[in-house]
Amino acid sequence: MKRGADLALVAVLLAAAAAALVFGGPAATPGEALAVLSGGGSPEVRTIVLGLRLPRLALALVVGASLALAGAALQALLSNPLADPFLLGISGGGAAAATAAYVLLPAAALGGVPAAAMAGAAAATGLVWWMARGPLGPSPTRMILAGVAVNAAASAAILTMLALAPSPRLPGVIAVTMGSLASASAGQVAWLAPYVLVPAFVLLLHGRDLGLLATGEESAAALGVEVATVRRRVFMAAAALCGGAVAFAGVIGFVGLVTPHLCRLVWGGSTRRLLPRAALAGAALTVLGDLLARRALSPAELPVGVVTALLGVPFFVALLRRSA
Amino acid sequence: MIDQLGDAVPGGPVRRVVPLAPDVTELAFAAGAGSLVAAVPVAADYPTEIARLPRVAPNDAEAIVALRPDVVLATTAGNDPRVVQRLRQLGTRVCSMDVTSFARLVEACRLAGDVLGYPAQGERLAREVDARSARATERARALPRRNALYVVWWEPLIVAAPGTFHDDMLHRAGLSNLAPASVGRYPRVDPELLLDPRLEVAVVPDERDLREGLARTTASAAGSRLVSGAVRVIWLPADLANRPGPRLPAALEALVAAREARP
Repeated sequence: MKRGADLALVAVLLAAAAAALVFGGPAATPGEALAVLSGGGSPEVRTIVLGLRLPRLALALVVGASLALAGAALQALLSNPLADPFLLGISGGGAAAATAAYVLLPAAALGGVPAAAMAGAAAATGLVWWMARGPLGPSPTRMILAGVAVNAAASAAILTMLALAPSPRLPGVIAVTMGSLASASAGQVAWLAPYVLVPAFVLLLHGRDLGLLATGEESAAALGVEVATVRRRVFMAAAALCGGAVAFAGVIGFVGLVTPHLCRLVWGGSTRRLLPRAALAGAALTVLGDLLARRALSPAELPVGVVTALLGVPFFVALLRRSA
Repeated sequence: MIDQLGDAVPGGPVRRVVPLAPDVTELAFAAGAGSLVAAVPVAADYPTEIARLPRVAPNDAEAIVALRPDVVLATTAGNDPRVVQRLRQLGTRVCSMDVTSFARLVEACRLAGDVLGYPAQGERLAREVDARSARATERARALPRRNALYVVWWEPLIVAAPGTFHDDMLHRAGLSNLAPASVGRYPRVDPELLLDPRLEVAVVPDERDLREGLARTTASAAGSRLVSGAVRVIWLPADLANRPGPRLPAALEALVAAREARP
């Protein structure tokens, strides 16, 4: 059954990716896009499919996989089903810094917004870690409470800046706070993809440790897990993944929270097995979400974060009820 | 009198007027009521006579009421409807303008004149706006019809949809708007729309942020038709084109002139 589910997941991911390239936007018909994918097509349509749709697809894959992987790792690390990059304030910190950059930077420097988002996510991570410190290191409960506090502060900062932002800049700010893959470029993907490899590798490497941690710190320690080291590495790696995602796509909620639960309901609770599947499922959900965001009211676009939530919630509820 | 949102505007003497946005500030002055204006919104910068007037934040109901206005002029182009509603509840006489076309602008000129006690000047302004718009529209009839977008913002791409005064301006200048209908007045759209082979013209208000945005867009794949010249960018004076006020016909004339120079 699990092997069948694995194959179904890969099939869904491939189908979503193909659909994104073929049906992506309003400027080229599916037939024209297929011609490009077959090696033909006019130069104009090649630009549309290979210059716009392909980078956007690649960014959606990387961002979705990063968020879901980070969410799965954080839920195991903190033994909390509600843990995700958003709850822990990491997304909020990135979004607040990106918003500040949008509002304060001169127009010529707006290319620096992703760097600001990453710096903000890193600062929020450091702040949560510092606030959660205790005699025995940061405890899961304190980390979540610290995350909630940082998130609240970030939300307040964003709302303040939204109230004060020069009105022409508001669209950019909204794209950050509600998530958008519309500005994807090959350069962004070329930067982000190698960047996420290291933290993703760290998380996958600690899959077994995370599984043991999810059963309790003492038993994990008794089985040889260096709890403090694993906690620090996993938290920093998850934060790095999330910071990269927020930098180029803004806040895409729900993927990091729900995808691990969806995968757990299908594949069971083994964290080591869950992590790579969550990454693939998160990538598929984000690609599908972005495709729907573009096509539902085409050529108008919906915020991708809204669509991923709309997509994820019914599946989540159905699976939850089935497992009850 | 009934304003452009269908709300009643009680009659009575007018000695103090407070406009809440730049477009209605210009409207009050052009309708002959400049001497009655007691304060202007922070963003107002025209006409030059406003330099001597105090400023008021258009979302600060308390400060507006403290100015003891006989009439507050509001607009759907930027004012918070909750603040406008609150002012009405507090007994302030409010006249809201909702200019979604040149015809509605002509109505707004007449309404402003009537509400502010300058009906003859309001009528004269309405006729002037109507005549200038009609002349520019007539000139544009000789031009080949082109497909266009009115770009409000580049990243993300936000355009003016049917049902806006910007859409009417495109239409009058002989341009067909490719923006989608029924998704709001200024929807965020797929950047792929810039590569739509039907698109021939992008009309853009001339602001520094939008110039920088264009530079970033042309550096990306979405801007390839802008770079090649397949899509022509026409810049319009931002204050004229962004404000649905009495200077809007000048924006239309500038657009038609740009098209005449290169049909």
